[in-house]
Amino acid sequence: MDINVRKRSEVQVIQLRGALRLGSAVDELRQVMEEAVGNGDTRLVVNLSEVPMIDSSGIGLLVRFLASTKQRGGSIKLVQPSKFAVQTLRLVGVLNLFEIFDDDDKAISSFA
Amino acid sequence: MSSESNDHRAHSDLVELLDLRIPGDAEAISRVTDSVLATLSELQVPEEKRLDIALAVQEALANAVVHGCKNDSSKEVRCRLKRDRDGRVLIIITDPGPGFSLEHRPDPKSPAHMYADHGRGVYLICQLMDEVQFEKGGREIRMWKF
Repeated sequence: MDINVRKRSEVQVIQLRGALRLGSAVDELRQVMEEAVGNGDTRLVVNLSEVPMIDSSGIGLLVRFLASTKQRGGSIKLVQPSKFAVQTLRLVGVLNLFEIFDDDDKAISSFA
Repeated sequence: MSSESNDHRAHSDLVELLDLRIPGDAEAISRVTDSVLATLSELQVPEEKRLDIALAVQEALANAVVHGCKNDSSKEVRCRLKRDRDGRVLIIITDPGPGFSLEHRPDPKSPAHMYADHGRGVYLICQLMDEVQFEKGGREIRMWKF
């Protein structure tokens, strides 16, 4: 999985490309998120527009850091998850934990 | 979902389409998941159904690698894909581990586990597939998609 991170308006925007599943994909995203939170960046936007599948390990990671960032006054917001990713989040009962947006700009603005 | 061995479908009805073995390594899982997707695509299985099956395979293989093999790449996980004449798909995944108990598994949708970072795999498999059976003390999962 490819990960691109850039900061916009004090928000870390994380663009993912590829399946978010057990193994190096989840491990690399975990490192990115740990570094962000460790640096005090608790406002994260995760763009899922190029992520065809999220498995339960990927979901666990997102949920864990959602809790962690919220405890620090921030959050993780999702952008353009695929229909299948939305179904998966819904099936395991976590869809409603997340705010979901059509694009990065709207997600970033929502932190204001 | 049943833990009993009650596969009432005659084995002669089933055509084996894939029989893959991978080491107990998380990085090896995607090779199988992608092969399953490619095979189902060639069979013109509808996309929604393909994705459901592929994710269930991903989850079952993850459990096999992590819990069955303890991430030991010297151990092996087997994945078979079969299809019957009515187009029903059967996936069988077997690992060499000690097995596990289906009882006392926490409900991942309960408030106490909502923010847990693990524990959703079996639950998700049972949501995605139409029938799920655990055999051999939990070392083998048989999943049907109708």
